[in-house]
Amino acid sequence: MLMAPQPWITPDGYERMTYALATRGLSKRYGSRTALDGLDLSVPEGVVYGFLGPNGAGKTTTMRLLTGLIHPDAGSIELLGRPFERGDRRRLFDVGALIESPAFYPYLSGRNNLRTLAATGPTTPAGRVDEVLELMGLASRARDKVSGYSLGMKQRLAIAAALLSDPKLLLLDEPANGLDPAGIVAMRDTLRRLAAAGKTVFVSSHILSEVQQLVDVVGIIAAGRLVREGTISELLHDEGVVRVRVAPGEVEAATAALALLEDRPRVEVGTDAAGGRLTIHVAPSRAAAINQALAERGVYASRVEAGSDLEGLFLQLTAEAPPPDVPAGPSWAAP
Amino acid sequence: MRIFLSGMLKLSRRLATWLTFGILLAILGLIFVAVGAAPPPEAGTDPGEGGVDPAVLLAFPTAYDNVIAFILGLGGLLAVIYGAAIAGSEWTWGTLKSAVARGENRTLYVLGTFASIAVVFAIGIVVATAFGVVAALVGGAIAGIPSDGIGDGAALGAIPEKLARVWVAIVGEGALGFAIATLTRSQLAGIGVGVGLFFGGQFAGIFLPDVVQYLPFSAANAVLATDGAGQGGGQVVQALEPNIALLVVAAWLVSALIVASLFTERAEIAG
Repeated sequence: MLMAPQPWITPDGYERMTYALATRGLSKRYGSRTALDGLDLSVPEGVVYGFLGPNGAGKTTTMRLLTGLIHPDAGSIELLGRPFERGDRRRLFDVGALIESPAFYPYLSGRNNLRTLAATGPTTPAGRVDEVLELMGLASRARDKVSGYSLGMKQRLAIAAALLSDPKLLLLDEPANGLDPAGIVAMRDTLRRLAAAGKTVFVSSHILSEVQQLVDVVGIIAAGRLVREGTISELLHDEGVVRVRVAPGEVEAATAALALLEDRPRVEVGTDAAGGRLTIHVAPSRAAAINQALAERGVYASRVEAGSDLEGLFLQLTAEAPPPDVPAGPSWAAP
Repeated sequence: MRIFLSGMLKLSRRLATWLTFGILLAILGLIFVAVGAAPPPEAGTDPGEGGVDPAVLLAFPTAYDNVIAFILGLGGLLAVIYGAAIAGSEWTWGTLKSAVARGENRTLYVLGTFASIAVVFAIGIVVATAFGVVAALVGGAIAGIPSDGIGDGAALGAIPEKLARVWVAIVGEGALGFAIATLTRSQLAGIGVGVGLFFGGQFAGIFLPDVVQYLPFSAANAVLATDGAGQGGGQVVQALEPNIALLVVAAWLVSALIVASLFTERAEIAG
């Protein structure tokens, strides 16, 4: 049974109580290898959720579990507000998915591939196949065999396939794979439109810049565990830093000046040989305010750097997480 | 029904369907025409040494039985390969994964897909029989054998039942290839294991006839009451009585489909 959901405050300040997708304590082992180790995801309705993690972190295993391709060893899944257990295949009628690489009959045309897929699962209205082909910009190539499609076209066809049932929840595994820049922009617009129409889009990716532009909420997974979840602005605010370099003799004065700031940010003093390096844990957007505070106390910074972006945060979080079967230690690196 | 119809669409557009059918027709036509074109053996020659007497193979109404027996023997081998190719590709190409992720019932998907294969086999057997009869007529004309017996009422009347028996046998053999490829999750492995079992069974029949006659391929070859002439898969040393063979084949068919369905139902689909 799932834990009682906690309210989710969206970036626009609205409180959401329901989740399109939630997992609690989700675990999966392949033999002696632990792929997921108690994963807790909370995906609010109507958002684009970015599911980030390094290779082997458990993203695809999670996708497979969410679509009933494999079954968890422990834990529970809730799809669209109702439990999803073994045998609950009809819960997937409202879910569209692209898992791993696009899967099609190479000798059939794009349209016939979608027609054969439309014969499975929920009933697909007449005309829906052409509608999604048009939506994904494939109408002009719909009669061509899939074996002649480029990787990007196959990817677009796979997204079209995921949209066939007009799903409330869309699960997309690395949807930008193989897409050219124009294709990525078009996909981003499509997914944003779907979210604006109330659908929930769950996107796994390792293209962080893409995720940063597309998603509302991010979950970062490492070594089978969720290491951080929240809106992008929250995460960057929580994990943001401003690095300042001052003269070694002014470190004390700088620290005192920063202590006067209203939110009294945590300040770390660097121990490098040159000295004078301070790391202030505040949102990167406050770099100018930090510089101003120092200047007002007569401390002039020779360098001010604002961090961190999502990539920095991702690297920091995923490098910290030890794999489930290996004790934490400095020699471990993410697989 | 939707899965069956979509299965028919998939099979009708698939090169393997036409290639398999083309091989069956080509070999069938080649054999019957070539026998007609070959010089007849000298009088008094042992049939095992002097070749086939065209009259035995091409004279009607016996030619009907010979055509059907060839389709049973050669068709069985092709059915194993075809069944394995269709089932294996669902795993290899990941299309089963897509259907399951849409909430499709795994067992219905397996059975619906196989039902379309069974219908393709039925169409193939009927068309191949018609083609074989024409080939026998052509071969007979070349050899100067009259086709007087072509309108034999008793022979014509028995054809539907014989074709039905051949269909059950070939569907049973196709189901084995289908189940093996499902278990191995691979086209190539399914085809390899299926063909290996096909020929292995024939070979083992020499040493263990009592046991092997109940194995699927031997039983399939025994569903027709023939002298074994022309069976492309080789002659069974000891054969079951045709009606018992039919029951044994049906049992293998049902078992193969149960195994394929259960395995797919319980499988963890990755990759």
